[in-house]
Amino acid sequence: MPTAVDSPATAGLVVAGGNRMGAARARRDESLTGWAFAAPFALLFVLFLVVPAVYGLYLSFTGETLTGANGKLIGLANYSEALQDPDMWRSLGNTLWFTLLSTVPLVLLSLAFALLVNLGLPGRWLWRLSFFLPYLLASTVVVLFWSWMYNPKLGLINGVLAELGIAPVAWLQDPNVAMISVVVTTLWWTIGFNFLLYLAALQNIPEQQFEAAAIDGAGKWRQLFSIVVPQLAPTTALILTLQVLASLKVFDQIYMLTNGGPAGSTRSIVQYIYEAGFTGYRFGYSSAISYLFFAIIVLVSIAQYKLINRRSAP
Amino acid sequence: MTVFDRPLSRRRLLSGAAALAGGGLLLGCTPGAGDSASDLSYWHLMSGGDGIVMAGLVDAVNAMNAGFRAEQTVLAWGPPYYTKLAMASAGGRAPDLAVMHASRIAGYAPGGLLEPWDVDLLAEVGVRESDFPPLVWQKGVYDGKLYSIALDTHPFVLYYNTQHAEKAGVTDAIQAMNSPEAFVEVAAKLQRVTGKHGLSYGYLGDGSQMWRLFYTLYRQTGAEMKLVPGSPAQVDEAAAVKVLGFVRSLLNDTIATRSGDGGTATSEFLHGESGLFFGGVWELPVLKESKLPFDARPIPTLFGQQAAYADSHTFVLPRQSTVSPERRRHTYQLVAELLKRSVTWAGAGHIPAYQPVVTSTEYQQLKPQSHYVGIPAYVNYDPDVWFSGAGSDFHKYFAENVQNVYLGSGDPAAGFDGFVQRLNKLLDRPQPV
Repeated sequence: MPTAVDSPATAGLVVAGGNRMGAARARRDESLTGWAFAAPFALLFVLFLVVPAVYGLYLSFTGETLTGANGKLIGLANYSEALQDPDMWRSLGNTLWFTLLSTVPLVLLSLAFALLVNLGLPGRWLWRLSFFLPYLLASTVVVLFWSWMYNPKLGLINGVLAELGIAPVAWLQDPNVAMISVVVTTLWWTIGFNFLLYLAALQNIPEQQFEAAAIDGAGKWRQLFSIVVPQLAPTTALILTLQVLASLKVFDQIYMLTNGGPAGSTRSIVQYIYEAGFTGYRFGYSSAISYLFFAIIVLVSIAQYKLINRRSAP
Repeated sequence: MTVFDRPLSRRRLLSGAAALAGGGLLLGCTPGAGDSASDLSYWHLMSGGDGIVMAGLVDAVNAMNAGFRAEQTVLAWGPPYYTKLAMASAGGRAPDLAVMHASRIAGYAPGGLLEPWDVDLLAEVGVRESDFPPLVWQKGVYDGKLYSIALDTHPFVLYYNTQHAEKAGVTDAIQAMNSPEAFVEVAAKLQRVTGKHGLSYGYLGDGSQMWRLFYTLYRQTGAEMKLVPGSPAQVDEAAAVKVLGFVRSLLNDTIATRSGDGGTATSEFLHGESGLFFGGVWELPVLKESKLPFDARPIPTLFGQQAAYADSHTFVLPRQSTVSPERRRHTYQLVAELLKRSVTWAGAGHIPAYQPVVTSTEYQQLKPQSHYVGIPAYVNYDPDVWFSGAGSDFHKYFAENVQNVYLGSGDPAAGFDGFVQRLNKLLDRPQPV
């Protein structure tokens, strides 16, 4: 799922020029100007992110509902209910399953496609375009035509299967198949972004390295594993991080394709949070699940950070 | 000084811009707060064909120049609409008038999100209880107060292909079916004519569709479903199992396809590949457009008692923190005028609730609408509880437990038990509204 990922705040450090008086004053002016420029963003950030997040944390300890009738503090009751809620666990399980099913092919296939396109096939622009184009579509558009392709009676896919003498499959209505269908749609839709990152990284590998390797007698496969894969490691780390976070937060295509069904088999944790709050009217409970999910995302991010850092250490 | 001039003026500029932006945001947060007493805000969820008809009705009322102008806001059907309406009411900045499904009133009225209608004031603008079918009027009453006024009733009905029916020799039998066996016999005869299916019924992935047919037939057995928060669901399991078994027997890939979703069913019926079609009256415009030779009738009474699942679009007064009596009066007038013009609304298939319209010759001449006009007399809405109703999770819980039964792979008793357990869990919780 392509999600706008907040660029990590790159804190601009003001480097002191010396210890003379004028420098200190200039530094103060400069930082005032800096604050002035940052103020609009900071204001919106505080107003629409920090305040709601803190308020959400507070809500998670209350029984707050839509009408504001039950806003009393109830301690950890919401959290303990969530931990015992089979639907919460099921939705979380679905989300992790989706993350696994989508991340692995989204990394491996995008690398494979990038390598193929980088071979210098004729009509390279066409390949590049066709892998990347779906990524530009809105999720509603993607869902609209995939739901037609998956239609059990009139859909393209079952039509092809029928020609081959294979019985029709209820792609989105069979609990055993629905998640796979969602993953396939997601792959088709979002692979272009990873593909583009890989392609850019591939084109940055200096040609001389391949020439030198060739002179040393390294074949194509040797070059792939000894030059390309190691050189792409930082890109792979980036793609993996972005992809895991995006997949964990999956919502829109599932909501529109299956609405979490059949029988809850594709309901993601984000959809469960949405349902608890906006159709079940329990804002407190919904906030508690969001914070549990937030904790999981933080843990996953820390684990990934450690893993990647260890790998890139000498 | 000059050193500071620029940053200061820049800051001033920034703060000015921020003030402007903030002001804009605040203004954007007050929906329907037109200052003039003659501008009424009206929220509804009619899109597509229904939306066009509703817009035409509003325009017609505005053209009267009766001292007010209604400004309609159309929001997406289902949870988005109900969430927004509830939040606007909870915040006291709701529109002057809104449309809600009758089945959702139970979730909104007790929470103080709606205000009751003043029956005397309604009578002044020409709207009285005697103008409505009793069950339809009663559905809007909660704790002795009237919270909603129905615009229509929109039931689940049976469409049939008149050409196929004639060929199969079942034209009269379609009107006379009164048992599951008789229904299967008609469907089988039609199947032999079409060579494909006898019946089209789209339900896959759509809990509301599964529920509409189930509840119609369940109520036909005389069984009830009472949901009272704090106590377990009162249901008749034997009746439910009987009905689920019957529905499953229809979905055997001969009478009707097992893999039918909404689109498949409509398209199958439109292409003459089936003779019967279970659908809502709102499907009527699409069928009419196709020039198919068809007619419609209520779903036949197969289990002894007349019953039909339906819902109604109703008018409600969402709670506003400050109410202007003059705007209120205009709102009453607006509702009365919309009701009096609802023969136009009937064009979209719905049965008008306002009886002077239903008894008019103009409506009686509408075919097939007038063939199912009697349904409001024995209509069944969703059980009255805060979590049921159109676009609610209630239908979803039904689907989660029953889809496998319909598909033929699940046990009817186990499926229904799962649904009841889910209901009990919700009934056990404190009510959030």
